[in-house]
Amino acid sequence: MRIACVALMLAAALPAFAQETTVRIRSARPFGYFVGDLIHARIDVSAPADAVLSRASLPNPGPLTGSLDLRDVKLSDSSESGARLWRLDLTYQNFYVALDARDIEIPGFELSISTATGAQTVAVPAWRIGVSPLREIAPQKQEQASDYLRPDGSSAFVDEATPLNLAFGAGAAALLALALVARDRAWPPFQQRKARVFSALARQISTRRAADDANLAVAIQSVHRALDQANGAILLSGDLPEFLRRRPEFKPLRADFERFFETSKRLFFGGESSKDDSAAEQLAQFVGRLARQERAG
Amino acid sequence: MNETLHVVQKLSDWRARALEFEQEIQKAVIGQARVVRLVTICIFARGHVLIEGDVGVGKTTLLRAVSRALGGDFARVEGTVDMMPSDILYHTYLGEDGRPRVDPSELLRHAETLPVFFFNEINRARPQVHSLLLRLMAERSVSAFNRVHHFPYLNVFADRNMVEREETFELPAAARDRFLMEILMAAPDDEDARRRLVFDPAFHDTETLLERVSAGTLDYRETPAIARAIQTHVRSSDALERYVLNLWQALVEPSSAGVSLPDVDLDSLVKGGASPRGLAALVRAARVRAWLEGRDYLVPEDVRDVFIEVMAHRIFVDPIHALRGDDIVKRLCRAAFDATPVP
Repeated sequence: MRIACVALMLAAALPAFAQETTVRIRSARPFGYFVGDLIHARIDVSAPADAVLSRASLPNPGPLTGSLDLRDVKLSDSSESGARLWRLDLTYQNFYVALDARDIEIPGFELSISTATGAQTVAVPAWRIGVSPLREIAPQKQEQASDYLRPDGSSAFVDEATPLNLAFGAGAAALLALALVARDRAWPPFQQRKARVFSALARQISTRRAADDANLAVAIQSVHRALDQANGAILLSGDLPEFLRRRPEFKPLRADFERFFETSKRLFFGGESSKDDSAAEQLAQFVGRLARQERAG
Repeated sequence: MNETLHVVQKLSDWRARALEFEQEIQKAVIGQARVVRLVTICIFARGHVLIEGDVGVGKTTLLRAVSRALGGDFARVEGTVDMMPSDILYHTYLGEDGRPRVDPSELLRHAETLPVFFFNEINRARPQVHSLLLRLMAERSVSAFNRVHHFPYLNVFADRNMVEREETFELPAAARDRFLMEILMAAPDDEDARRRLVFDPAFHDTETLLERVSAGTLDYRETPAIARAIQTHVRSSDALERYVLNLWQALVEPSSAGVSLPDVDLDSLVKGGASPRGLAALVRAARVRAWLEGRDYLVPEDVRDVFIEVMAHRIFVDPIHALRGDDIVKRLCRAAFDATPVP
């Protein structure tokens, strides 16, 4: 609300409350209103701290005079240095069709306040504003009635292609990212994705490094089971070429596969114990490589 | 210790000769490396062989080449519906003086020097003949002319005619179980081998073809001792023994071992076979294979490589499936392998 302090200030000095109760009326300007204009007024009423304002005494929105309506009433309540301050924001609308510049009166009203000493009436006095007539502009004589009209403003041309392309691009990128995430997490429709048996195995093997033969045997057996699962049937070393043909992503690991099968054969069937401490390390590396190829494939 | 070293050395020498033997056979029989390998395994496992194959794929040539390379004799009989056991043992004819004569047959004459006896179309012969053959195979001996004749080096090779059903007598289960392997011999897949077989005149004349095979690459008289040495020398680990027993279980009770075949009720499929003798034969053949591969221990590949040949003909399935041939048994064997984890 643009109320400056160009206000007309009225102090109502009431006999009994000369020091305590004051009324200030402020408006944006006291002149220059035309028919239909809104007139904003702020009325500050300060009273003793124990005073209570009777809300029923506030003016009601509606027609006040033949040419003036009260449109809106807002009340805010605060305390200021031991005194009570009510701030009334009133919105009037002027319907007076003035033929010349003159003052019109905004009618006053009364507010009821009750204090410790009893009920009192605070009068908000009438105040005046200046209204002005709407003057006709005498334009140059035109031949056509439509010539008096100003042309429509030209509409600004907005190029839609770039934002549209950007939107499609971003949408496609978002969908692609969603698809990648879905594939990684095996969400539908990727639930049929081959299970990553070697990734699971690599985690399992890395947590329990095989130290002795028994553990190494268990680890090798678990690798065999994972290979069986990847193959869909029991995988023996003789099936390796066929397996690598079906799962070409493992082709680069052919030498590792052969070494693994050789170690397994010697340990399980040849009755040799692995004197070599690096066997467990090699196994873990082999599984790690399998997991990597599986992820790549 | 010295003796062990001696055996190891001897086995190693014999392995080289066995591989040479295979090479010699393949000079006459081309494109059949696997069949030759299986026959070699049978010779060193001292097992009899059923050969299944079309006419004209070279079964007789193969067996004659084998007998030539072994340095022994070769005897052959043709199974016919009116054949009697005596026809195998006796040669009856009219002598110059017009009197009937009974002499030992080819089989009896060569008894001591016969490594290869080929019985062609065995299922054309009657069950009486089968029973004689059973004794010959199981005991390597027959009774004739009031005495027992021994065949210390004998390997019986028999061919089954699987095309006709008229006037044939299916081999009884007991007879089939006596055969170590049933080997399928088909025309070679290799185009080059096929072309040579058809267009190279060398392959049209069996007699000259067989001359390519050096006689006596192996000495058949030594095979029994070598066979025994192989069986004692090639070790089987606990893991492998467990594997073979699991395989057996998968054949006998497929559903309990997690074996399944589409469209087949496995609970009622297997009616018999998969006998302890069958499994023992499997391990015997697998040991020979391991030896031929240059190992002194068994691995699952050895077992799998010979499994279908050793086991399939011993397994008897419900008659409703038997009508469709032995394909179902082979499928069952493969499914058992696919379901039995190793090691």
